[in-house]
Amino acid sequence: MVAKKSLGLAALAAGGAIAAGYRRRKAVRPGPAEWFAVTVDCDPGELSGENRPDALGRLAEHHEVRITPAPGGRGTEIAVHAADGKAREQVRALKQFLETGEVLRVEGQPEGHRTVLGRAAIPVSRQLMRRGVR
Amino acid sequence: MKALCWTGVNEVAVEEVPDPRILNRQDVIVRVTASSTCGSDLHLLDGYVPTMMAGDVIGHEFLGEVVETGPDVRDRRVGERVVVCSIIGCGRCRNCRAEMWSLCDNSNPDPGFLETLNGHATAGIFGYSHAMGGFAGSHAEYVRVPYGDVNAFPVPEGVPDASAVFASDAVPTGWMGADIAGIRPGDVVAVWGCGGVGQMAARAAFLLGAERVIAIDRFPERLEMTSRHTGAETLDYEKVDVLDALKEMTGGRGPDVCIEAVGMEGHGTGAQYAYDRVKQAVRLQTDRGLPLRQAIHACRKGGTVSVLGVYLGFVDKFPMGAVMNKGLTLRSGQQHGQRYIPMLLERMARGEVDASHLLTHPMALDDAPRGYEMFKNKEDGCVRAVFTP
Repeated sequence: MVAKKSLGLAALAAGGAIAAGYRRRKAVRPGPAEWFAVTVDCDPGELSGENRPDALGRLAEHHEVRITPAPGGRGTEIAVHAADGKAREQVRALKQFLETGEVLRVEGQPEGHRTVLGRAAIPVSRQLMRRGVR
Repeated sequence: MKALCWTGVNEVAVEEVPDPRILNRQDVIVRVTASSTCGSDLHLLDGYVPTMMAGDVIGHEFLGEVVETGPDVRDRRVGERVVVCSIIGCGRCRNCRAEMWSLCDNSNPDPGFLETLNGHATAGIFGYSHAMGGFAGSHAEYVRVPYGDVNAFPVPEGVPDASAVFASDAVPTGWMGADIAGIRPGDVVAVWGCGGVGQMAARAAFLLGAERVIAIDRFPERLEMTSRHTGAETLDYEKVDVLDALKEMTGGRGPDVCIEAVGMEGHGTGAQYAYDRVKQAVRLQTDRGLPLRQAIHACRKGGTVSVLGVYLGFVDKFPMGAVMNKGLTLRSGQQHGQRYIPMLLERMARGEVDASHLLTHPMALDDAPRGYEMFKNKEDGCVRAVFTP
């Protein structure tokens, strides 16, 4: 019983330390950058006027989009303001499409027996990893 | 089809899974004829690579025959015997075009985990966790290969499967370790680890001009094999103090180039090794790095340390002081296989490079669980178990 109690306390203490750490972190951590940016290996001219890809147009309907030449002739920087998870996924897909002509799919590959938990977790974790945590 | 799935820590099983299909227009489907175990798989088995899920098909070092091509595939043809690079490149992004294929921007569609861990993500890798793209692996009857034109390489006639299969990973990885270290004629090169990659690094070091190569391991049969097939001198770290021995063998200078071909589950001796094991087991460090520390310590002033062993996150007690005060150059990377594979296949065809001796245990895919057990425990002198579906 004593052991159980002390175990419970230890867990509480650990929880408290984490909570305190979290509060402190919240207090000092600067906010995330406002723009989500990728560099695409293409000429800025390929992204404007009538050349503008449809996917970029759709992004621009909901977000401010900044297109600038990358230094050193390294292509074009596409930055999207206030990009949420979905917008980040769209920006990554746009880069893939512009550079390779397609957006790589991993859904629908062979897989063995998934646990119930795994079946539920895979789409969620995949979406998290596709969008990235910010 | 049959495939080998990861089912949990230290558990793999052959299961019946759906056949792969063309998912992207540049895909090819390869019928696998040989698929090798690799030391880096042991990190998956041992549970040190997160984002593995029960049911994931593993395996990444393989050879086979093209049986189907997507509509946008231009160069690959049905019927070709091909070796496929274990690391996937798109061939179009800036990094691929600069021949740094494992830094491909586009082949890992789910980069978030690695971006959080490391700042940026690595390329996709077959059968190597969802963090590396979640691609189904090659221990299977068939495998889907994205961007087939740039990742699958026709194997010249006359190069046997037993050697060609290692042109997928072990041979180009070893070659890259020697290449990026900038070996110059007359150099003394030390190689930590006498597995497939270490042996190929030793061979590459000689071909790139090293005068002496010293290979380090603890398994007598691997040391003997390395000595016989590469011409390297060997050190058994359980019998000699490696740092003392290397100084003695190099006139006090230390090796010009130190190649680490061990990775995040390196073994060693003494208190430092015990400390690393405990910290890794309780997840206070993700990677244990005794051979890496030793390579840095041993390297001559102004020398180069080339790290091929797989690390995932953090190594504790990293000797930055030695790197800084000895003016060392640190080189590393997952293999840029596509840069080297055509040249290595040519060398195989000319007889300059042969990796077939690494294949100590050919096995049926059905016996893959046993194969991994033998490979992991180095039973029966196992250097590589290679599965044929």
